[in-house]
Amino acid sequence: MTLSIDPVGEAGLKFYSKISASISHEIKNSLAVINESAGYLEDVSLMAKKGMAIDVNRMEALAGSMLKQVRRADTITKNMNRLAHSLDEPVCQTDLNALIELMLRLSERTTVTRGIKVSAVFSEPAVTLFTNPFFLQNLIWLILNFAMDLTGDTKAIEMTPAKTASGADIRFTGIHQLTTAAGKTFQEGPVRSILAVLKSTLQFDEKSGIIILQLPDTINK
Amino acid sequence: MQLLLVDDEKDFVETLAERLSLRGFQADWVTSAKAAEEIIKTKKYDLVLLDVKMPHVGGRELKRIIEKQQPDIKTIYLTGHGSEEDYQAGSAEAEHYLMKPININHLIEKIHDALGKKED
Repeated sequence: MTLSIDPVGEAGLKFYSKISASISHEIKNSLAVINESAGYLEDVSLMAKKGMAIDVNRMEALAGSMLKQVRRADTITKNMNRLAHSLDEPVCQTDLNALIELMLRLSERTTVTRGIKVSAVFSEPAVTLFTNPFFLQNLIWLILNFAMDLTGDTKAIEMTPAKTASGADIRFTGIHQLTTAAGKTFQEGPVRSILAVLKSTLQFDEKSGIIILQLPDTINK
Repeated sequence: MQLLLVDDEKDFVETLAERLSLRGFQADWVTSAKAAEEIIKTKKYDLVLLDVKMPHVGGRELKRIIEKQQPDIKTIYLTGHGSEEDYQAGSAEAEHYLMKPININHLIEKIHDALGKKED
């Protein structure tokens, strides 16, 4: 028996599963904080029943910590929900600022764990495109993962979306160890297939350490 | 028993250390590998609880650094990550590998178990 999976679908599944794993890890962290806070309240309640004084300030801090974690988990699940709904339509009007902001949030745990600061300078006004938001997110994820190994000592990547005559581009700066060979290798396999789906191209400026993702105003033409 | 807890989630590690202290353990806590490296230079610990996934230096790498300073120290990994690959690797390296959120009684059992192994 042979198993045939198209490269775009496979890349999409890998991206979705990586993000899901990262999100579940984040939610578990929030649950762990809430669990310890609730456990501590239980410990202190038992001691109070035996006549020990309660530290009201500590109780207040614990309540605040639990509320903070509930808000954190709520934000995480909302972002995951936004990613899930980006598969609803194959092509739709997409706000690049909003999409990049979502990617920053979804990839935060991965980038922080790897010691890389990823930020964005958003365009004003926001640029909108008719594209496939899920695969654009997938492509940004792949570029970030590639770029994170090549930042050198600065360990920082900045994404800057901007309107162009034919659509928009996103500049990824801070990739100081970028080489022609690395760029060529990166564009093979799933990246090439996703670029074809998005009718987009990548430009590599090794000298300045920049990757430019060029996107058309619509992929329906 | 001297315990060191290392986890980048401050609210988690601080509260867990308090709960362990209420149960008779001497529990210090830090929120980074760098801080852990500093504290183990000055104080001897029986066991370290390490978060596997932390920024810059993860728990598995930190374990190797700590063991250079304190070769007899026992390790329990804590993680929110649930991949089978991580679990297999972590279980082989440390005395125990626990998933968050943790049950404090279960953790204490594992601490005694790990330190019992040390006494064997």
